Amino acid sequence: MTSSQAFRRFAFGFGAGFAVLYVLARAQHLALFTVFPTLGIVLPGPQRGQETALFHLPAMHWYGWMATAALGALVLGLVAAALPERWARPMLLGSWLVPIFAMVACVYLTMPWFRL
Amino acid sequence: MTATALAIVHGLVAVALLGAISHQALAAWAPAVGRHGSFLRRFRAVPADAFANAIVAFYVISTVLGGILYLYYRIDVSPLLENESRWEAIGLFDIKEHFTAIGLALLPAYWVCWRRPRGGESPLTRAMLTSTLAFIVWWSFLIGHVTNNIRGFGT
Repeated sequence: MTSSQAFRRFAFGFGAGFAVLYVLARAQHLALFTVFPTLGIVLPGPQRGQETALFHLPAMHWYGWMATAALGALVLGLVAAALPERWARPMLLGSWLVPIFAMVACVYLTMPWFRL
Repeated sequence: MTATALAIVHGLVAVALLGAISHQALAAWAPAVGRHGSFLRRFRAVPADAFANAIVAFYVISTVLGGILYLYYRIDVSPLLENESRWEAIGLFDIKEHFTAIGLALLPAYWVCWRRPRGGESPLTRAMLTSTLAFIVWWSFLIGHVTNNIRGFGT
């Protein structure tokens, strides 16, 4: 029962933590790695600017943003699992409220496409 | 050819996911007892708990397939959309990527809320998590469908 409750807190912490960290990774361009699909190579970190411009190839950061957020959320989830059970109630609220705000933030970050 | 086959399987899994999550989301907000009455009532009268594992599996499979197809999209489709100045299509597809990622991370919390026996999660949390996932699935399905119509593989 205790491990089950700890997993519950982990799950709520992981979901909300991922949502926040994903928005941060997207906004600050914190990709753990970058995929160049035409070359079939993966380079560490957010490859931008001169190097990518020289390649003249499409660079994909989505996988890297997810990896960054997942890694951070894993840590946050473990912290949440270690917290006392009385913290579970605010986590319940945050588990769905935080992702909704994150989705709104993602829409905001995508707005430049609609202004072109 | 591989991309087309993957896109078809991705679409079929998405249809199954769309049906299951729609049933469950409506059942979460307004559960109905019995299988008699209007279409809407029968639509809600499903054993919503039993859908959770299948929804998690469908979501993961669909996201993995979408993640593979995304490579083809970036090489073959996205540059064409850029050349045709279809910026809104690219933007809507970007939003789909972001929503899908956030939804994927919600699956553990969603699964915990639907497991038996209940661990004290409120019906509101269960309904909101399910509705959020349902919105993500509907958005992803529609935008993926529209993007494929604009510039699908092989067009």
